Amino acid sequence: MKNFFTSRRLGDILSHAYVWFCLILFVTPFLALLGYSFTGPQGNYAVQNFQYVFGSFRNNLLWSFKISVLTLLLNLIIALPAGYALVRYPFPGKRVLFSALTLPLYVPGAVIGIALVLTYNFTYHMITSIWGLVFAMVVGTFPLMLTPIVVALKDLPIAFEEAAQCLGATKWQTYWRVVFPLIGPGISAGLLLSFIIVFNEYLVTLFVHPPGVTTAPLRVFNLVRTAGLLPTTAALAVTMQLISFFAVLAFFRIFGTRYLKGTYLI
Amino acid sequence: MSQEQVSISQPLIAPELRRREQNARLTMLALILPSILLTILFLYYPLVFIVRMSFTLADSFLSPTGPIFTLENYVAMTGRYLSNVWVTIKLAGLSTLVNLIFGFPFAYILVRKIRYRDLVRGFMVFPMFGALYVAFGMRFILLPGGIATPLLNALGIANTQALYSLPSVVFAMSIFTFPFMVMNVGTALSNVDPVLEEAAACLGARPLQTFWRVLLPLTRSGLIAGALMVFGWNVGTFAEPLLLGTINEQKSLAWTLYQRGVVQTDYGLATTMGVVLLILAFTVTYFSLRYSRGALVE
Repeated sequence: MKNFFTSRRLGDILSHAYVWFCLILFVTPFLALLGYSFTGPQGNYAVQNFQYVFGSFRNNLLWSFKISVLTLLLNLIIALPAGYALVRYPFPGKRVLFSALTLPLYVPGAVIGIALVLTYNFTYHMITSIWGLVFAMVVGTFPLMLTPIVVALKDLPIAFEEAAQCLGATKWQTYWRVVFPLIGPGISAGLLLSFIIVFNEYLVTLFVHPPGVTTAPLRVFNLVRTAGLLPTTAALAVTMQLISFFAVLAFFRIFGTRYLKGTYLI
Repeated sequence: MSQEQVSISQPLIAPELRRREQNARLTMLALILPSILLTILFLYYPLVFIVRMSFTLADSFLSPTGPIFTLENYVAMTGRYLSNVWVTIKLAGLSTLVNLIFGFPFAYILVRKIRYRDLVRGFMVFPMFGALYVAFGMRFILLPGGIATPLLNALGIANTQALYSLPSVVFAMSIFTFPFMVMNVGTALSNVDPVLEEAAACLGARPLQTFWRVLLPLTRSGLIAGALMVFGWNVGTFAEPLLLGTINEQKSLAWTLYQRGVVQTDYGLATTMGVVLLILAFTVTYFSLRYSRGALVE
């Protein structure tokens, strides 16, 4: 009996150790970058690298934010009605349509990139427009926006809407005062997922970015490729990851992890 | 009595009902149309476009004399560039294998034993910010003078030998997709009642037997869905082979596609590579959706 307990205890300790080992492996690349970003030119401790982030990299960061905001807005405008229609209206071929709409998630970034850059060049003639980049991002993250909204709407009984209308609310009042607030966590889950992807996307951007527009992740990629490994580049990468991480953290604190279920993040 | 009511009111209600139904259909169409337009304009049409382009010679699509249609690109894919296809499949397959082996115990412990799950989730989002940062960070670790130097010295491996190698590429790819695997397996595992394991143990099964005979069959769909998903994501690997691999790993299709298409403007060949990648990813996705929870909207 005593033997049983000790071996079980050992198993518990080993399993916790295993999980922590994996978790440390996950953050090691980030920690390595973090450590290196505080290294000065003589190998000493320095903060000056982060001055570059808000100095010469400022434009890149601003572009990243601008593209992210535009993408999120467009995404929301398109995904919200689509999610509502998919859940609340009966029509044939719904499942096929949903699969067709979520398929972009499974197309490799390089394929989306080459396909879009060629069509922008030869058919749409919008290679120099920022909207080309924005729409590339929208189509890539649309499934991530749509799925949590669909999940949230399915969880919301239709009785709420019916009750609101029985009490004399118009259609718009029902949407604004009842439906949207109640599926709010689902909407913000979609916004969070899309933000993380768009904010850190370098691959599709590499293909379709208009001349003169370099987002921060693309700048990281270009610098790593051409200028070798610089502490300033590490500082930029660290800043990007920290911003994304705090977005996730804030979401976890406000809404919990429930609405991310079945999507992309756990 | 009730029949009589129906027969009386039907002629009055029918047109109104029909009008409402039609209105509902129109509203539905208006709500869903933007999303359909978006995916057709920016995904399906471009994909059809590159499929058509993959049958044209080099950059002849542009030429004023019109495109020259040829099968040469596909011949090149099965000949000169076959090794690129194999390297891509090998990298994705190896990282899937690593994820399966390390992901299952991780998901099991996470679901059954750990109470601080939100903390674990917090840690697990870091790889999801992108393969680029993972590969970039790995480079720092493996570089001469990096954190891993003492460890590598103890094992008798030179830094550059570890930095530019197949294992480091596979390792970075595995870290990037590990959360997806854990997500799929964890969902499957949380649907398995712990009582079943206890019952197996009570009936005299050893832990290994419980794993093979009870857990594995019950979570098979989750494992398959996770493996296929990870494979599908890693087929398009780009930054990892470029930053961590040797010339051999840099043959990965996505990177070759970029070079041929954007740098050398050999559109025919680049789009052919895109089509091959697309076929790989879609085949895998098809099976993955069959095995996972596809019925979200029904």
